[in-house]
Amino acid sequence: MTTNVPVIDSHAAPVAGRKNFLNCSSGFLSWAGTLDHKRIGIMYLVGVSLAFLAGGLFALLVRLHLWKPDGMLFDNVQYNQIFTLHGAFMVFIFVIPAIPGSLGNMVLPLMLGAKDVALPRLNLLSFYLWLAGALMATLAIVLGGFDTGWTFYAPYSLYTDQAVVTIGLAVFVLGFSSIFTGLNFIVTVHKLRAPGLTWFRMPLFVWAIYATAILQVLATPVLGITVLLVAFERLYHIGIFDPRLGGDPVLFEHFFWFYSHPAVYIMVLPAFGIVSELVSVHSRKPLFGYKLIAFSSLAIAIISFLVWGHHMFTSGQSTYALFAFSFLTFFVAIPTAIKEFSWVATIWKGSIALNAPMLYTLAFLIIFAIGGLTGVILGALNVDIHLHDTYFVVAHFHYVMMGSIALAFFAGLHHWWPKMFGVMYNETLAKIACGIIFVGFNTTFIPQFIMGSRGMPRRYATYVPDYMGFHQASTIGAMVLGAGVALMVFYLVASLFQGKKAMQNQWGGVTLDWLTPTPPPLENFDEAPVVTTEVYDYSTLDYKAMQTPVA
Amino acid sequence: MSAHSHSQGHADHGNPALQMGHHHVSSAKMFFNVLVALLILTGITVAASRVDFGGANMLIAMGIASIKASLVIAFFMHLKWDTAINKIVFLCSFLFLSLLFIFTLADHATRRWDNEMHTVRTPVSNEFVYRQQPHPENH
Amino acid sequence: MSHDGHHSVVIPAPGPEFVPHTVAHHFDTPVQEFQSMKLGFWLFLATEILLFGGLFAAYFYFHESYPETFRLGGHQLDWKLGALNTSVLLLSSWTMAMGVRSSQTSQKQKTLFFCGLTVLGAVIFMVIKFFEYRAKNEHGLIVFSELFHPYDLTTNSLPWFKDYDGVMAGVPHPHLFFAIYLTMTAIHGLHVVIGAGLILWIMKGTAKGRFHAGYYLPVDLVGLYWHLVDLIWIFLFPLLYLVP
Ligand SMILES: [Cu+2]
Repeated sequence: MTTNVPVIDSHAAPVAGRKNFLNCSSGFLSWAGTLDHKRIGIMYLVGVSLAFLAGGLFALLVRLHLWKPDGMLFDNVQYNQIFTLHGAFMVFIFVIPAIPGSLGNMVLPLMLGAKDVALPRLNLLSFYLWLAGALMATLAIVLGGFDTGWTFYAPYSLYTDQAVVTIGLAVFVLGFSSIFTGLNFIVTVHKLRAPGLTWFRMPLFVWAIYATAILQVLATPVLGITVLLVAFERLYHIGIFDPRLGGDPVLFEHFFWFYSHPAVYIMVLPAFGIVSELVSVHSRKPLFGYKLIAFSSLAIAIISFLVWGHHMFTSGQSTYALFAFSFLTFFVAIPTAIKEFSWVATIWKGSIALNAPMLYTLAFLIIFAIGGLTGVILGALNVDIHLHDTYFVVAHFHYVMMGSIALAFFAGLHHWWPKMFGVMYNETLAKIACGIIFVGFNTTFIPQFIMGSRGMPRRYATYVPDYMGFHQASTIGAMVLGAGVALMVFYLVASLFQGKKAMQNQWGGVTLDWLTPTPPPLENFDEAPVVTTEVYDYSTLDYKAMQTPVA
Repeated sequence: MSAHSHSQGHADHGNPALQMGHHHVSSAKMFFNVLVALLILTGITVAASRVDFGGANMLIAMGIASIKASLVIAFFMHLKWDTAINKIVFLCSFLFLSLLFIFTLADHATRRWDNEMHTVRTPVSNEFVYRQQPHPENH
Repeated sequence: MSHDGHHSVVIPAPGPEFVPHTVAHHFDTPVQEFQSMKLGFWLFLATEILLFGGLFAAYFYFHESYPETFRLGGHQLDWKLGALNTSVLLLSSWTMAMGVRSSQTSQKQKTLFFCGLTVLGAVIFMVIKFFEYRAKNEHGLIVFSELFHPYDLTTNSLPWFKDYDGVMAGVPHPHLFFAIYLTMTAIHGLHVVIGAGLILWIMKGTAKGRFHAGYYLPVDLVGLYWHLVDLIWIFLFPLLYLVP
C-alpha cells in the first residue's frame, strides 16, 4: 500500500525543526488533557508498563516463596493474596489494555490514514477509567488485599473477609475502559478510513484490533454485571451465587467465563495482529494468506463465544454441556492454526532481517505453537479432568499470555519505538535481552508442564518435596526472565535520553504508519493520504526514506 | 403538523456537504399509531397472563414483549431507517446475549437428566449427586 | 502547530434563535461526524443490552429452579401499578420520539414541551416505584433499613427478608424473587434517573438554540437512550409482575 507522492516526499526531505506530536506543546496539562491518540497511547504505554512490572514483581515473589516445599516468605493467606495480585494485575490492568491501549492507539489511526480516533474524548475517558481502575485495585491492597484468585469464584469470594467489593468495582471500571476503547476502534475503522483504503487493503493489525474490539464490546458487559452481582451479594446477599441461599455458584462460573474466555482473545488477537505486521515487514514479503488471516481473526472472535464451558469441566455442569463445550473448543484450533501456518509461510523464502523486533516475533512463533497445542490437549474433556487446576494449566496459559502476548507486545514495542520517539535503542542489547527472556521463559514454564502433568495443583502455598526440583528450576527461570525484562526496560528508557536518531522508515514498512514523517505531526499526515495500491506491496518501497534520519 | 413532516425533514437537502446524513423524519401520526399499538399490546399481555396456557404462558409473554420491543426499536428508535451497520450492531447484541441464555439454561436444564440417569443405574452415586444439587426441591 | 491551516466545517443555524454547529476537527464532513457518533452510541446501547442480559439470564435460571417461589413472589407485586408504570414509560417514550422529531424540524418550543413531558414521565415512574418499594418494605418482603446488615449464619435468616404476613411460606428460598426484583428494578431505576438528567441537559441546549435541523445529534442519542430504558421495562413488566 502506498499513497500519493506528496506524503512520501515529505519525509524524504525532512524539514529541520519541524514540530511533531511530542514537541508541539509541553507541560503536564498538555499531556493530561490531550485528545491526541498518540499521546494517549504513550500514557497507556507508561501505565501498562508499570502494571506489568508490578505484576512481574508479584510473580517473582510467588516463585521465591515456592523455592522450598514449606514455602519461604508468606503464610497461606498472604500467599493467596500475592498470587491473586499477580493474576489480577496482569490480566485486568496489563494484558487486556496493553496492546490496544498503547500500540493500538498509537498506530491504528496512522494505519487508517485518519487524523485521530473517531471519538477522541471517549479515548481520553478510557484512559482515565483505566487509571481509576488501577488505583482502585491498589486501594484494595491497602484495604487488606484480596485472596480469591483473579477469577473471584463464588462462593469463596462471597464469604472471605477481604476487600472483594473494592477490587470488584475496580474490575467493573476497568471493563468499561476496555469497552470504550473497543467501541472507539470499531467506529474509527468503519468511518475514518482514508480514501481508497478498502477493507482488504487494511493492514492485518487493523483487522486484529477490529476483531478484538468486537469482543471487547460484546463480552465485557457481562463481566461488568458479574462483578457487580458479586459486590451486591456481599452487600445485601441476593443469593443467586450463594448455595446457602438457594443460589448456584456454577451460574457465576457461566457468567464469568462468558466474558473470560473471549477475554483470552481480547488479549491474544492484538498480539496476532502485531505478528502479522512484523513477519511481513521484516521478511520484506506480502503476507501469505492475507484474507485468511483477516477472516480467521473474525472467526476466532465469534467461535470464542461458544466454548467458555471448557473452563468448567469439573464444576458440576451437566454432562451434556461438557460434551458440547469440549467439542466446540476444538474449532478454535482451526483459525488459529491458519494464522500460524500463514506466518511461517510468509517468512519462508523471505528476505529475513534478524533485527530485534523479528527476533521477538520468532520467539513468539515458537512459544505460541506450544501454548496453542497444549490448549488443544486441555480442551479434550477426559484429559482435562486429570489436568484441571494443575500447573499444566498454569504453564499452558502462561505460554499464551506471557510467552505469546507479552512477547508480541515487546516485538511491537521494538518495531514502533523508532516511529513513536524517533530514536533507536541499542540493538545488540535488544537481541541479548530477547535471548535471555526466551531462555528464562522456557526454563520457568517447561518444568511446570511436567510437574502439572504429574499432579502438582495450582495455587498451593506448599507442596510435597517430590516436586522441589521442578519448582526450583522454575524459580531460577523466573529470575532469568526477570533479568531479561529489566535489561529491556533499561535500554529502552536509555534510548530516550541518548539513543541515536532513527530513520524515517526504520524497517522499510509500506503501510501508512510508515509513510508519514517520524515522529508523526499532531494530525498525523501533512496531506490527507489517498491509497492507490494493494496492501504489503513492497515494490512501492521508498528506500530513500530508509536512509534518511529523522529531523 | 404531521402533513408537513417529510417536506420539513428534507428542507436542508440543498447543500449535500451540510447534511447530517440521510436522516428520516417520521410523521407524528405514525408515532401515535405505534404508541396505541404498544398500549394495546400491554393490555393483551395482562389479559394473556390471566389465562392458564401451561408452559406456554412464558412463551406468549415473551413473544408479546418481543413484538413491543421491535416496535420501539424500529419506529421510536427509527432503526428501520438507519444504516445497515447500526442494525447489525444492535441485532448482534441480542444474538450474542442469546448464546449466554442458550448455553447457561441448557446446562441447567440437562443437569436433571444426569440425575435421572444416576437414579436408575447407581443409587449410591445418585445420593452423592443429590446432595450436590443446589435445589433439591425439584425432586 | 504548523497544521492549523485546516478549515473547520460549520453547519449554519436555520434561524436567528439558533447557534451554528462546528464539526469536530478530525472529521471531514458533518455526515462522517453524525454517522460516527451514532454508530458509537448504538455500540454503547449493545453493551447495555448485554449488561442487563446477565440479570435476565439469572432470572430465567432461578425461575426454572424455583417456579413456585417466582409465581408466589409475582403475586405479591401490584400488577396494576406495574401496568400503570408500563403505560407511563410507553407514553414517555412517545413524547421523547416527538421531542426528537421536533428538534429535527427546528421547532424549539415543541422540543422543550415534549422533552419536559418525558421528564415528567420519568418522575411519575419513580414516584410510583417509590410507593411500590414502600409497600414491600411494610410487608417485610424487602426491609430497606436492614438491607446491608450481615447475614446471620446461625439462624440462617436474611436480615432484610422478614415476610411479616407469611405470604411466602412454604416455597423454597422465598427471598430470591425479591432480591432479583430489587436488583433489576433498582438498576433500571438508575437508568431512568440518568436518562431524565440527560433529557434536562438536552433541554438546556435546546433552549440555547444549539440543536436544530442541521444538528440534532445529541437529542437523537439521548432519545435512543430513553427508548432503551423503555425497552428493558417492556420485558421486566411481564417477568416480574405477571410471572408466567
Ligand atoms: Cu477458554
